[in-house]
Amino acid sequence: MESAASMNLKVTPIPVQGGIVALDLEGEVDVYTAPLLRQEIMNQVEKGTKYILVHLEKVEYLDSTGLGILIGGVKRLKEQGGALKLVGPSPRISRIFDITGLNRIFDVYATQTEALASVG
Amino acid sequence: MNRELHATDDSTGGGAAFVPPVTDSSVVTLTIPCTAEYVGTARLTILGVASRMGFSYDQVEDIRLAVGEACTNAIARAEASPNTMPATITIRSHVEPTQLIVEIEDTVATPSSSTDLDKSISEEMNSAELGALLMEILVDEVTLQTSASGTHVKLIKYAGARASAVV
Repeated sequence: MESAASMNLKVTPIPVQGGIVALDLEGEVDVYTAPLLRQEIMNQVEKGTKYILVHLEKVEYLDSTGLGILIGGVKRLKEQGGALKLVGPSPRISRIFDITGLNRIFDVYATQTEALASVG
Repeated sequence: MNRELHATDDSTGGGAAFVPPVTDSSVVTLTIPCTAEYVGTARLTILGVASRMGFSYDQVEDIRLAVGEACTNAIARAEASPNTMPATITIRSHVEPTQLIVEIEDTVATPSSSTDLDKSISEEMNSAELGALLMEILVDEVTLQTSASGTHVKLIKYAGARASAVV
């Protein structure tokens, strides 16, 4: 049964290739829905996923809670010898990265193809 | 003339092609439980208020995010607080001809010991810092007052000739 939180955010893991998983996000990432994202990132880390590509094309809202979770994901994946990369943020979301300076921390790509090309 | 409007006043009728100028002051007040599931409600209300003031899309989104951050900050403090009384957040939007003033007042008791707010999880610390940074950048003025009984945040976004958007 779909929870109330999942009604505003949908997180779908999509295997890409060995050790790489895409997380397709749809909706709003805020203090209420962000635990879904956090849990899925943790699930992937526990499974041994090394690279997570977080798709933001369908994310309409992203606040500090979501940013904190993405930062946490970047750190965790880096500790595992991998990386968390962001794909396709809207101009609005990209603007948030710019004004907070997180554009220097996040690896952001316009497409999954570009993100995959950067995986070492 | 001041008019009191409550958030239950459903005067939203979808997107309007014409936004008449604000010529007097109105106050829209919403009180929500200080819990995560109602932050979206607060954002929807402020979206409706700001959209009627002639702000640009980016400015409306700036205000929406800033109000959301203030509410999120209250919720984080409530979750960390040993106070078992249910807290509330009151968002009071003062619609004025040249500015929108949004007051976000919560009833989250501030713990007497700072160790109660020890956030050893770096993710939460980052979020709190980012939230404060976003509020500072997204609106024109921010003031914050904290007391033992709660915190009062005041956000001001200029409209009309004084308006600015984050570039």
